[in-house]
Amino acid sequence: MIQQVLVAALAGSAVTALVALAAYRLASARAVHRLRAEADRQTATLSQASAAQRELIGVHEQHMQELEATLAQLRDELKTQSDSADAVRTELKAALDSKDQLGHKAAQLAAEAARLKGLAGTFERWHEQMISLMTQNQDMHTKNHELSSIVRHVVIVSLNASIEAARAGAAGRGFAVVASEVRALAARSEELSKSYRDSLHRNDLTTTATFQDIQAGGKMIAASLSSVESLANQFHATLH
Amino acid sequence: MGIDVISAHAKESVEHIFFRAIRSRLTMEASDVCEIVPADAHGAHSLSDGNLVILTISGIAFRLLLILQYDEDERTQSYFLREESERPFLEVFLEICNLCCGAVNQELLQYFPDLGMSTPYVLSARCRPYLEALKPEFLASYSVSINDAVRLGATICMCAHAPIDFVAEASALEDTSGELELF
Repeated sequence: MIQQVLVAALAGSAVTALVALAAYRLASARAVHRLRAEADRQTATLSQASAAQRELIGVHEQHMQELEATLAQLRDELKTQSDSADAVRTELKAALDSKDQLGHKAAQLAAEAARLKGLAGTFERWHEQMISLMTQNQDMHTKNHELSSIVRHVVIVSLNASIEAARAGAAGRGFAVVASEVRALAARSEELSKSYRDSLHRNDLTTTATFQDIQAGGKMIAASLSSVESLANQFHATLH
Repeated sequence: MGIDVISAHAKESVEHIFFRAIRSRLTMEASDVCEIVPADAHGAHSLSDGNLVILTISGIAFRLLLILQYDEDERTQSYFLREESERPFLEVFLEICNLCCGAVNQELLQYFPDLGMSTPYVLSARCRPYLEALKPEFLASYSVSINDAVRLGATICMCAHAPIDFVAEASALEDTSGELELF
């Protein structure tokens, strides 16, 4: 009996164990299945994420290429700009050099104009000659005036001689002829003296007019040179 | 040299400028009456008397001689000397003539940029007829009377070797002071 019970108990245990085993297997199969499904889902998610990342990498690579292209373009542009800046710098230097040269020339021009203004002194020197010439003319006027008064005196003397000759009658005839001749000579001398006086007046006028023209012309040239000098100085000032 | 080297406008302009200068510089007071008539007209100043003050304005193409004739009589001396008794008459009068010529020069500079002016010089009035020897293109003489007391002679003698043509702008301020008496 006990054996039966033991067998039965063993059998029962065995059955229970089998049932438990079966239940365990079933449960584990279910768990495996669930885990696999989960793994599959996660794999799918991962592959999706991986695809998205690949896509992103592609996009980024494209961006990078674009950026590199832009960079290359910018580098080219920089080179071009740098080249043209060099050219401009060279041109600027040339322009500055030429400006300096122009400034130098303007200063030279101003100095030359200032130097030539000294010509005014030359014209003044010529004008001073006029005073000397006019003094000589004045001296000739005085001498001519003296000559004229002598001639007038001779006329009076010759008139007196004629009167005395007439008084002497026949004896004075020869003397009357001489007195008349002297009067005629005095008259001619008087004419000559008048003509000489007129010539001196004419000479006074032409000498004065000529030398004044020289003096005024000299001032005109000096004034013109002053304006050239001033223009050159203004030009020089604008260059610096 | 043709007769038209100096245009009629230019002659008229020089004459007007000279008249303006005479009226403004030879009168000692603004209220003084200054009459200018052509020298051959009524009661003109005898041109063989006294002395001449000669001044020259030179340009590139012309020279202009301005001549003022004066008598050193009492009326003339007292008019120009006024209260000034220390300086000799001639010195004062030459300064006035210089100012008169300077005024002409100043106005002409508006039309001719290059001009120069001489200093004055005194000659006998007997020299005046020989102005013709300078072969002027424009020669005109006037009699100037100030306050009907002081009489002066004024002559323009302009020689040109290139055509001169310009019209002086009328200065309204001074042109109204009696120029119409002449024209």
